[in-house]
Amino acid sequence: MSGEPVAVTGLGAVSGFGWGVEELWRGVLSGASAIRDFHRFDHTGYRTHVASEVPDGPALDPEAGGPRLTLADRFALVAAAEALAGARLPERLEGAAAGLFFGSSTGGMFESEQFFAQLVGRPRRAPIGLLSAQQPCGPGDAVARAHGVTGPVETIASACASATLALGAALDALRSGEIELALAGGSDSLCRLTFGGFNALRAVDERPCRPFRRERAGMSIGEGAAVLVLESRARAERRGAPVLAWLAGVGASCDAHHMTSPDPQGEGISRAVAAALADAGLAPAAIDFVNLHGTGTPANDSAEARMLARIFGARAPALPATSTKGCVGHFLGAAGAVEALVTVLCLEHGLVHPTPGEGTLDPGLGVDLVVGAPRALPAARRALSTNLAFGGANAACVLLHPEAA
Amino acid sequence: MTRAVVATGLGAVGPWGVGVEALAGCLAQGATRPVVVDRSAGYHAPGGARTALTASGLDLSALVPPASARRMSPPARFAVAALRLALADAGLANADHERTGIVVGTAFGPAFVTEQLLIQLLRQGPEAASPAAFTESVASASAAQMAMAVGARGPNLAITQRETSDLAALAEGARLVATGAAERVLVAAVDEMIPLLHAVLDRFRALARPGADGAEVARPFDRRRDGFLAAEGAAVVVLEAEPDALGRGARPLARLAGVVRGFDASAPAWDWGTGSGPLAATLARGLRRAGVAPGSIDLVVSGASGARRGDRLEAGVLTTLFGQRLPAVVAPKGTVGEPGGAHLAAALLAASGRAIGPTRGFEEPDPELGLRPSVAEKLPAPRRTLVSALASGGAATWVVLDAPEPSPARAV
Repeated sequence: MSGEPVAVTGLGAVSGFGWGVEELWRGVLSGASAIRDFHRFDHTGYRTHVASEVPDGPALDPEAGGPRLTLADRFALVAAAEALAGARLPERLEGAAAGLFFGSSTGGMFESEQFFAQLVGRPRRAPIGLLSAQQPCGPGDAVARAHGVTGPVETIASACASATLALGAALDALRSGEIELALAGGSDSLCRLTFGGFNALRAVDERPCRPFRRERAGMSIGEGAAVLVLESRARAERRGAPVLAWLAGVGASCDAHHMTSPDPQGEGISRAVAAALADAGLAPAAIDFVNLHGTGTPANDSAEARMLARIFGARAPALPATSTKGCVGHFLGAAGAVEALVTVLCLEHGLVHPTPGEGTLDPGLGVDLVVGAPRALPAARRALSTNLAFGGANAACVLLHPEAA
Repeated sequence: MTRAVVATGLGAVGPWGVGVEALAGCLAQGATRPVVVDRSAGYHAPGGARTALTASGLDLSALVPPASARRMSPPARFAVAALRLALADAGLANADHERTGIVVGTAFGPAFVTEQLLIQLLRQGPEAASPAAFTESVASASAAQMAMAVGARGPNLAITQRETSDLAALAEGARLVATGAAERVLVAAVDEMIPLLHAVLDRFRALARPGADGAEVARPFDRRRDGFLAAEGAAVVVLEAEPDALGRGARPLARLAGVVRGFDASAPAWDWGTGSGPLAATLARGLRRAGVAPGSIDLVVSGASGARRGDRLEAGVLTTLFGQRLPAVVAPKGTVGEPGGAHLAAALLAASGRAIGPTRGFEEPDPELGLRPSVAEKLPAPRRTLVSALASGGAATWVVLDAPEPSPARAV
């Protein structure tokens, strides 16, 4: 049941490490974390005072691109422009059979909160403009508008699995011939709703998150955007596009188990991984390393360790694994996009980035987590990236080195 | 691998009541009961729209047991209720759902619990925030509740694409069935209408305003149209591969003959654009790819809602595509409003040969549009129906539904 891979020809990213893919790649290789004190809003009274916040940049100037753009719109627009330029594509895509598939959890919620705070106090003065792009589809629509996309434009809002599910929707749209080019990715900004929600769930770590460590105590929230330019093989070859990697398969499943806790046996995410491998036409033995969801919550990391054992069997304890969330926090609806993007970079450079986090690796998990320094894997050709969401939605994708398809 | 996709079950709950027959009755008779929206929170600007079509009084306890309903946001309750009805309609009430996918389309997500959470966080501080409210506030909460209700363990996703969320969800559901990623998919279009959302929509001047007689009337394609009717509810459609459906003796409501998606980059974030030409070109190209000749379409179930610019864009696309050979156009949102799934449900009903009534609210043609919707009480059953939904912000989806082939199962 496998299908054709599609080419990844451009990358763009905005993260706690800065405005660009180069900043992100240098950051994740450094072994340092971008999770620290933050200033976006007052966090007095919360359980944690750390998050990964995008640093100031010219795109945050209210006049840049118009005052009605939300933070999440701005992240997405910068990432998309970088991805298109890197792919050597024009800024306007009217002439291409192009679509956009994004993941976002809260879209313009940060701005909606400001509106709501004023609405509660002085309803008549609350500035309605703050709500003009309130929904999760705000960032994706903004990018489609900015670049003249004429084909499908769709935002998936399935919490932390959103962007990987968006990659799957993009992959199928390309395979079916509906489009030849897709901007796939996601964007989310820090907001009180998400920060306070995870705070109320006691799912946040006081310290920067510690994925797969014995001391792990929860996640760290991040923000940012990542965009991948995807093209059909035919289109990429026709125009001699730079092929950075191939997206070979996406799989999805649902635990149908619990609103917040993953299936503790990792059965649900295992089915998503199996579906992604089948979609890519690969056996588990073909996978060289894994970018795990790795939030740092006790339940998530343990469920993922079980997944590794289920899928990779005796090989699991020796399969190199990393969690980008240890570096830039949890991008929520955009997590799958930034993690797929980092996985592309790892394949390109033959380096798996280390996962920051205090403490010692949890020996009970049996995960070969890369820590301290990047691990050289020059022969790595195929990698897997996983995401697990609220409500038991799981998704996984398989990416290949340019020479592996 | 691509498989033909059919719809084999439909369930709906909304302001009109519980079940598709209640919706069909409402569409036929035009009987809706707008409810005056509670303004006590002070969210509303003075004047403006007063009413909405709400479903808060519905008794769903036979479909959603109260013990589980307590753990769900209102839209999740609507969606699970519609899900039970749709599965029963499809003859799948006791089916195994190991490989069943769920795709939810929602314009606004769980607005009530989101509002509650914001009040807790912004007014009372972080310790007041309810963890249960947070997990129910995510846009995909309905999809998760649907999956848990029936044990649907296939792909699970939620799409938020404003007024085209319903058809976008149908499109993604069809993809998952066509590729074999899911054995079947339960597609839901669901939303709730709360005073906060009503107030915000009204501040954007999106809602129909009271007329001289005080009534707020959505007038699709009418010269005097000034907004839509705010509504809530859910519709669920069961999608299966055609051979699977016929193999188990199911009687399809309709066959998906094509899906076309496009975007109008001229749209601002908060309104419709003016790019009817490029949208019509995208639609024409997509229909060609699907092998659907515009001349073979004999009914359009239009997403026109009474929105000033939205209906103009819709009319522009339809008149450009069809030219002088425009088929009958019916806009059910004149009766049932939006969002809340009724447009999707009405489209399935129409495609399966049921009457969905005239375009209510339309009286005076708008010379600027060059399009008159059908006001006939009953139209001939269509062989091929084009369903449209253009969203503010730019996204657009069209779905072509063919009347089911008379099958041996049907003849028995």
